[in-house]
Amino acid sequence: MALLQLRGIEKSYELGKTVVTALRGVDLEVEAGEFTVVMGPSGSGKTTLLNIIGCLDRPTGGSYVLDGEAIGDRDFNDLADIRNRKIGFIFQNFNLIPVLSVRENIEFPCVIRGEGGAELNQRVEAIARDVGLTDFLHHKPDELSGGQRQRVAIARALVTGPQLVLADEPTANLDSKTSDQIIDLMLALNRDKGVTFLFSTHDPRVMEHARRVVSIHDGVIVDGTAAAAADVARMHGAGTSFLLPYDAAERR
Amino acid sequence: MRRTLSLLRIALRNVLRNRRRTLITLAALLVGVSVMVSVRGVLNGLQSALVENVVKGQTGALQVHRKGYRQNVLASPLTLDFESEPIAEKARAVPGVQAVAPRIAFGGMLAVGDETIFLFNQAIDPAAELKVCPKRGAAMHDAGKFFGAGGIEQVADAVLVTGELEKALRPAMAKTKDPAALLAPDRDGALSGENATIVGKVDLSGPGDRKLGIVRLDVAQRLLKMEGRVTELAVAVDDLSRLEQTKAALQQALGEGYEVHTWEEIASFVVDIRNMQNALLSLVAAVFMLLMLLGVANTMLMSVLDRTREIGTMMAVGVRRQTIVALFLMEAGFIGALGGSLGGALGWGLSSWLSADGISLRLPTSDVPYVIHPFVPVQYLAAVVAIAATGAVLFALYPAWRASRLRPVEALAGG
Repeated sequence: MALLQLRGIEKSYELGKTVVTALRGVDLEVEAGEFTVVMGPSGSGKTTLLNIIGCLDRPTGGSYVLDGEAIGDRDFNDLADIRNRKIGFIFQNFNLIPVLSVRENIEFPCVIRGEGGAELNQRVEAIARDVGLTDFLHHKPDELSGGQRQRVAIARALVTGPQLVLADEPTANLDSKTSDQIIDLMLALNRDKGVTFLFSTHDPRVMEHARRVVSIHDGVIVDGTAAAAADVARMHGAGTSFLLPYDAAERR
Repeated sequence: MRRTLSLLRIALRNVLRNRRRTLITLAALLVGVSVMVSVRGVLNGLQSALVENVVKGQTGALQVHRKGYRQNVLASPLTLDFESEPIAEKARAVPGVQAVAPRIAFGGMLAVGDETIFLFNQAIDPAAELKVCPKRGAAMHDAGKFFGAGGIEQVADAVLVTGELEKALRPAMAKTKDPAALLAPDRDGALSGENATIVGKVDLSGPGDRKLGIVRLDVAQRLLKMEGRVTELAVAVDDLSRLEQTKAALQQALGEGYEVHTWEEIASFVVDIRNMQNALLSLVAAVFMLLMLLGVANTMLMSVLDRTREIGTMMAVGVRRQTIVALFLMEAGFIGALGGSLGGALGWGLSSWLSADGISLRLPTSDVPYVIHPFVPVQYLAAVVAIAATGAVLFALYPAWRASRLRPVEALAGG
C-alpha cells in the first residue's frame, strides 16, 4: 500500500463573492522511500496540494489516506498529532523559532510531546551530525547562514522519524551553491536513510536530481514524462532538452 | 513536566525578546503598582494614626456602661451610673485588660461673669486617664495644670474647653476676676454649681464635640452628688487585634447589667472615614489595575500579530491549540508577576522611606499635626503581586485564544 493516497482531492476558496478553485480532483500516490518533486507554474496549486498533504489545510472534496490512516474530518488536535508523528516540514523561509538554539529548534517537535533526556539528546546529536550542524548546536538561528538555517529545518523535520517530509520550495531563498548542498543532503538522506521526500519547487536544478516529477497545472496533475519535461524545459529556457532519471510510469 | 518547563523557558525568552515593548509594559505596571502600594502605605499610616488618636486619645479601646446607657447616650443619663471601684476591679482582673479609667459624661453650663454657655462635659481622673489614654495630652494645650504634669502644680478645679468655647468666653473672662462656675443638674435633677478655672484648650475630638469641656472627676462627682460613682469606664487592652475576645471576656465578667462596647462602635465616624477611604482607594486601584492590564493585553495582542508565522510553524510541527494558549498565558503571567513584584518592591521601598522620618499631617478630627508612619503589610504586597499576575493572565486570554484559533496555513503565510 502506498504511503500516501490522494483520490479526487478538491480545494476551493471563497474570496468575497468569488469562488477560486485551487485543486480540481487530484489523484496522487507516493510510495515510501520516494524522492518526488511537484512542479508547476505559480498559482498551479502545488503549495495548496502540499498544505493538504501536510494536514495544514483541509480539502473541500476527495479522500486522503496517509500511512493507512484516513485523514477525514479530524479535529485540529488530531491533525496536530498526525503532523507531529508522521510529517516533517521544510519551509522556504526556514521558519525556525528565533528564541530557541539550534539544538532546541531541532528537538522542539519531540519536546512538545513530552520527550527528553539522554535518548533525545543522542538522537538530536546524530541528526545534527548527519546535516553538518554539530558545531552549531548552541547557536541561535540569527547567528547562522541561510544554508545552515535550512539544515536546522531539515534536522527538525527528521527528528521525530516521520514517514514523509514535505519541502515547499526549500531552495528558493538560497544561493545556487548552498542550494546544491541542501539538495545533496536531502538526496543522501533519501538514499541512505530511506526518508520519503515530497518537494514543491520552481528550481530546475532540483529536477535534475528528482527520481519522480509530478507536474500540476491549473489544479490538475498532468501525468507523464512529456508534461514534466516540458515544464523543466520551460524553466531551463527554450530549446533545452532534459531527461528525467525516473518518472512515475517507470516506477510502476 | 518536561513540556511545561520547556514552554516556560520559551515564554520567558519571548518576554525578553522584544525588550522595548516589554520594558514599556513593565514600566506601566511598575509605576501603577508602586503608586497603589505606596498610597496604600500612606493611608495605612494615616488610618493607624487616626485609630491611635481615637483609642489612646479619646475613647479607650473598650468602654463599660450600665445596660441601656448607649441607647440614651445623647441624654447622658446620670441615673444609669454605677459604683466605680468594684466594677473597675472586676474589669482589671479580665485577661487582656491593661488599665481602667473612670469617667462621667454630663451636660451643664459654664458661667463666666455675665456670660453663660451650655456645654457637654467629660469628667476624668487625670492619673487613671493617662494610663488608658496616654495621648490625651497631645490634643490639649496648656493642660499641665489639669494633669499636674511636667512639674506644673495641678489646679483642683481645672477645666479645659474647646477652642470655640474659649473664644466665646474670652471677652467675659477679660472683664471679670471672679472664678468661673460650672453648673449642672445633679443626679436627682437639682441644679448645683462648683468653681471652675479654665486652664487650657482641648482639640475637637470628633463631630459634635465643638462645645466640649474636660473636668476633673472629683469635681464632677461633688457637683453631681455622685461620690464614688461614674457613668463610664474606659478600658485599655494589651492587644487591639484581640479586641473582640477581650470584649467578650469583659462582658462575661461584668454580667448582664453592664454593656461593653468597642471603640469602633463608639467612634463609628472613624470607621466610616476609614471605610470611605478604603472604598475610594480600592476604586482608584481597580481603575489603575484595569489600565495596566489593558496594557498587558495590548502587548500580548501585538505579540500575537508579530509572531503569526512562528505560531504557524509551531502548529505545523504539531503543537496543539491549548499549548499555544498556555504559552501566551505564561508570557503574560511573567510580565504581570515581574511588573507586580517590581512595583510592589518600589512601593514598599517608597513607603518605608517615607516612614523613616514620618509625614506630618493634620488629621480631620484634630487641630494638632500628627506624624504618620506609612506601612504596607506583606499580605497586601503578596495580594497585589498575585492580582497583577493573575489579572495579566486573565487579560491575555483573548490574545492567546486568537493565537490558538489561527489556521496553520494562514499563520504560516504570515496572517
